Amino acid sequence: MDKTTENKKPVKKQGPIRVEAVVPMLIVVGATVLYFSLFFDAHLRRGLEYGATQANGAEVNIGRLQTSVFKATVLIGDVQMTDPLQPLRNRVQIGEVRFGMLWDALLRGKVMIDEAMIEDVQIDTPRKQAGRVLPPPAPQSGPSASDKMLATMKEEFSGNVVGDLAAIAAGANPSEQLQQIGGDLKSDAYMAELQRSMDETEQQWKTRMAALPRGEDFGALRTRLSNVKVQDVKDVAQLQAAVKELQAIRDEFEAKSKPIVEAGTGLAGDLKGLQTSFAGLDDVVREDVRGLQARMKLPSLDAGNLSRALFGMDVLNKVQQARAYMEQARQYMPSKGKQADKPAPRNIHKGRDYAFGHPKGYPAFWLRRALVTSTLPGGKGLSGEIRDAATDQALVGRPMIATLKGDFPQQGVSGIKAELVVDHTKAEPVERMELSVARYGVAGRSLVNSPNVTLGFAQAVASASLTAELRGEQVKMQVSNQFRDVAFETTAQSTVVREMMQASLAGLKTVRMDAGVRGTWGDLDWNLSTNLGDALARGMKRYLQEKMDEARKRIQAQVDQRIAAQRQKLTARRNELESRLRSSLAEKQVQVDKLRADLEAARRDLEQRKNAATDAQKQKLKQDANQLLDKWRR
Amino acid sequence: MTLLLKQLFALLRLLNSDTGTNQIAAGVACGLILGFAPMLSLQGLLVFLCMFLFRIQIGAALTSAVFFAMVAWLFDPVSHALGVAILETASLQPLFTTLYNLPLVPLTRFYNSVVMGAGVMSVLLAPLVFFGSKLLIALYREKVVARFKSSPVWKLWSGTTFFKWYSSYEKFHG
Repeated sequence: MDKTTENKKPVKKQGPIRVEAVVPMLIVVGATVLYFSLFFDAHLRRGLEYGATQANGAEVNIGRLQTSVFKATVLIGDVQMTDPLQPLRNRVQIGEVRFGMLWDALLRGKVMIDEAMIEDVQIDTPRKQAGRVLPPPAPQSGPSASDKMLATMKEEFSGNVVGDLAAIAAGANPSEQLQQIGGDLKSDAYMAELQRSMDETEQQWKTRMAALPRGEDFGALRTRLSNVKVQDVKDVAQLQAAVKELQAIRDEFEAKSKPIVEAGTGLAGDLKGLQTSFAGLDDVVREDVRGLQARMKLPSLDAGNLSRALFGMDVLNKVQQARAYMEQARQYMPSKGKQADKPAPRNIHKGRDYAFGHPKGYPAFWLRRALVTSTLPGGKGLSGEIRDAATDQALVGRPMIATLKGDFPQQGVSGIKAELVVDHTKAEPVERMELSVARYGVAGRSLVNSPNVTLGFAQAVASASLTAELRGEQVKMQVSNQFRDVAFETTAQSTVVREMMQASLAGLKTVRMDAGVRGTWGDLDWNLSTNLGDALARGMKRYLQEKMDEARKRIQAQVDQRIAAQRQKLTARRNELESRLRSSLAEKQVQVDKLRADLEAARRDLEQRKNAATDAQKQKLKQDANQLLDKWRR
Repeated sequence: MTLLLKQLFALLRLLNSDTGTNQIAAGVACGLILGFAPMLSLQGLLVFLCMFLFRIQIGAALTSAVFFAMVAWLFDPVSHALGVAILETASLQPLFTTLYNLPLVPLTRFYNSVVMGAGVMSVLLAPLVFFGSKLLIALYREKVVARFKSSPVWKLWSGTTFFKWYSSYEKFHG
């Protein structure tokens, strides 16, 4: 036997099924069970924390999380959502959330929660350590019209109007700053543009005038006209020749005089344009004066302006919050129309999910009912309900409705009533919210914070109401606040400012603020009024009106003075150009008119001769006929 | 990790032997489906089950899965376009509605454009990859392995005591 054959082991033929894989399979199954028992909850908790942080815009912590795979239940405890504006405080803190999911839905890859319990809800609670705040998300494709609108509003409201007024009251002379302003007035640029425009006009007209027919052109025509024998016409043939020559001269005259007539019309238009441009200079000067007033922080003493400076940012924050919540609601609960539109996915690697639901099917997520409770000693607390939070409301056929009422006594907040309706069942998404708080305490709230003056509520009892309806791109919001038993806190370095503030606020115990925001997200109409603004405007006027008027006048005078020389020079140049162009065109016009008159006279002369010749012929024929008749009668 | 390395060594051994062509080719085809499917999906689990239950070269499947996952990532725009075309086909809507509301089937995430497009592509390409792999393995063994075994370097190496010792070890322990 061959040695190599002898050494070969008998090869056992193997079938296509791997029987020996049973043990590794069992190991894999065991490892999976072990993972779900030991690590799944921790990993899910981290995942939820990450997702909730992204949605909240600031750190969200989950204290504990327990799941039961077989019962499909989840228990989430001690949820803390950081307030992005105050990282040391929680926006909301929830004691416990419990819910069970239906296996029937889970097997279909959907989450269906029949009833959830949300217990021990609190707001504005302190945190042990500051929560991480995420940077605002970068816009997908540049700022939208609504972003620009809100940014403009923010710039306007964040201005320190009251501080600027206080600075003037304290003795700052705004017109002194005018000396430092460089040569970047719009009027300068406008006048340079006027100068350039006049140079261009002059050059154009120089070329055009040179191209116009000259005196000798018309002289040649006049010579030809004088050679036409109008006086010595003896027969019809001569008359015809004279008419023909006269017609030729007239045609040539018309051809040569046409550019002069057109130039007359064109010159009138250009000169009118220059006049309009000069008139525009006044508008630019006014704009410069306004710009300088703004740059020198010369604010308006208008009550509306002051009201916006005091409470504008508050209202703006509420509008921005409403928009952020609306965008999230529309992203996660798209309306019927949006689902049909199927926008391109933001990340191509994630693709686009399609929903093929039928009337009795499950949407991807559906929380049918959640009970919110927070019972505190003394029967106080919070109760509420969330119904039908679903990713496909058109399929569910019902809008999401959330209601909440109760008190947060620990935070001194009572009489909360809130109702939120998110109706995305139809093509046009609608979100409505009504919120009222009967009473909450205010302490140490700053309204004005500038080096010259500070103003705020040391203490007050407040109530608030908010009504908002967002329908498609339309916004309708009404915000009202009332601060009662107000104790103001104001500081000022200058005695005048201190006096002014005290006089303005004297006797003011209740501050009301009403704001209305209407329009589309790209074009919002703001209406904000507060009696605090009225009181400050009245009080400050007494101290500041005279100073402000004087400052405005000085600004106007300085701008006028600065541009006066250049303006005068430009006006003189325009007048000179106008008169020069008009006179040189007028010379040509005179020649044209004179030749036109000569031509007309020659035409009339010929006409008369033609009529005279015709009459003579008629007379001769008549005489001949009479003679013939006489002969015949005899 | 040890299991993974063992599978990879097994793949190399099998590739350089004269047997197991079908096992390796099936492994590569399974890797294609795995690479084109989402990481956690029902179809991925089914392919894994098949790899365990049937005599499919797991090392080949895992290696090619990594490679095809990168290919699939590059082809995501194409997969998306194909998936959109399929999912928006009017005549298939009743079928998709039924599948969407059946238990377990939605766990495949067939309703996602990229998953659908990549899934269809992988299923269509799997037979081609299977037969193509068989051809390439045969060519590799013929052109590369045979030439390498006749090279002086291999002859020198196979003559060493260490190689002989390892060969006898492999004979006993497999």
